Amino acid sequence: MTPGSIVFMILILGLYGGGFAFFMNKAFGAKK
Amino acid sequence: MQQKKSETFATRFGFIAAGIGMAVGTGNVWRFPRVTAANGGGAFLIALTVAMFVYAIPLLLAEMAIARKTRLGTIGAMRDFMGKKFTWVGGWLALVALGVMFYYSVVAGWTIKYLVLSLQGTFSGPDITPEVTESIWLTFLDTPVQTILFHGVSMLFGAIVIYKGVTAGIEKVTKIMVPTLFVLLTLVMIRGVTLPGAADGLVFLFTPNLEVLLGSRVWLEAFTQAAWSTGAGWALLMTYAVYTKDEEDLSVNCFIIGFGDVLVGLIAAMAILPTVYSLSPTIEAAQAAMGSGNNGLIFVYLSALFARMPGGTIVAVIFFLALAFAALSSLLSMIEVGVLNLMDAGWERGKATIYVCVAGFLVGVPSAYSINFLDNQDWVWGVGLLISGLLISVAIMKYGVEKVRNEDINHAHSDMVIGPWWSFMIRIFPAVFAVIFGWWTWQSIGWYPGEWWKPFEVFTPGTMFFQWGVGAIILIALNDKMANWIRPGTFDLEAQSQASMKKEG
Repeated sequence: MTPGSIVFMILILGLYGGGFAFFMNKAFGAKK
Repeated sequence: MQQKKSETFATRFGFIAAGIGMAVGTGNVWRFPRVTAANGGGAFLIALTVAMFVYAIPLLLAEMAIARKTRLGTIGAMRDFMGKKFTWVGGWLALVALGVMFYYSVVAGWTIKYLVLSLQGTFSGPDITPEVTESIWLTFLDTPVQTILFHGVSMLFGAIVIYKGVTAGIEKVTKIMVPTLFVLLTLVMIRGVTLPGAADGLVFLFTPNLEVLLGSRVWLEAFTQAAWSTGAGWALLMTYAVYTKDEEDLSVNCFIIGFGDVLVGLIAAMAILPTVYSLSPTIEAAQAAMGSGNNGLIFVYLSALFARMPGGTIVAVIFFLALAFAALSSLLSMIEVGVLNLMDAGWERGKATIYVCVAGFLVGVPSAYSINFLDNQDWVWGVGLLISGLLISVAIMKYGVEKVRNEDINHAHSDMVIGPWWSFMIRIFPAVFAVIFGWWTWQSIGWYPGEWWKPFEVFTPGTMFFQWGVGAIILIALNDKMANWIRPGTFDLEAQSQASMKKEG
């Protein structure tokens, strides 16, 4: 894989995987 | 007298699982990887991300807001939200969702059949070539007893779950199916990316050919994928949101469903593309697989590739189980659209379920019998869903975009404030619709030079407009009957307007 593909893969998976985790945490994480 | 729904999702996770189950369907598994590969890989993913924020998420939020305000199925919701003379709009939403349900149950049946085949060890051994799997696929399609039987099995599964109700049926089942689906697809992905040469598939998926973004096709495909994959504008999430509690958040739930949907597509793509590129004997064979359409990719090529994969027999079972879960969890939401509308008319859930599922089975039989008929229905109601999206955006604009955002989306229990970007996206929606709808219609005219108007061809604009026209005329004729048929909900636009006029007077 080229460095460009690797960086892009991390960005996309970060956006959707990270985004999904972020919103799940917002929904179910410990409330203040 | 105004009534509230007595049934509700018992937990927030239950609603989210049902919502993701609704959104994630066969399209995530077989369309997402194929369309991504055909449209510049990474470039398509960038366009899809834009489409998610311009099309899918705004529309899903709009659906949930309408449902929460009216607490009725599509017909009653549009009667109360838009006014009595627009009741037919709710009828249209139900018609299109059920139009999809009739053939989608057949597709779900295919996935069950392939799960059974994989359990029997069909996709193992050196003799399993694409020619053999193509023959298995065509033989299956040409055996109506089988296609109708498996269509019946999927509809029976849907009937049992929906009959049990929201908490004991939909919530209980999707809380198991959706997380399992994530795990199963992840297992197939791990197997795919650890195959020798898998990187070729990943390069194809994640190389951002940015010049592709200068063309129009990638954008149109991305917006179409966002609409069809997330279920935005289908009124399926609108139906489920009727059963949420008053204090339930809309915005974060909506983002979870939207992001979860794309995430499943990405996992499926990372499972399928490396497998295809690693195990195909030549790069041309891999490209032939990716260009062979949804059914060809999965039921012909991938099935054959499982036979070449170490541990492929087990991977095939896991994959087809995941595919069946994806299909069946979406089918549930389509059945519920019909059932909720009948319940709003005073029917018991059990009776409504039996009528919808028996009708669903019978009307689905022609699609099980003929792939051309199924393709025609997929074309007509698939594009019809874009119109449903347009109608939902118009409904929001008619009521007041800012009013909905301030009162219904950003309510006291919201976990996240939705900014004015949402209002902007809803307002530009008709223009976005015109471009996508115009593109599909224009393309289909090119498929049938000189014959595009014919109503009995598989993919003509003529067949779309003919079937929509018949449906719309019947619905408009029945407008008042439908308006009186549905019980009152929790909100009535006309009653509210009269009350405020009296107050002012």
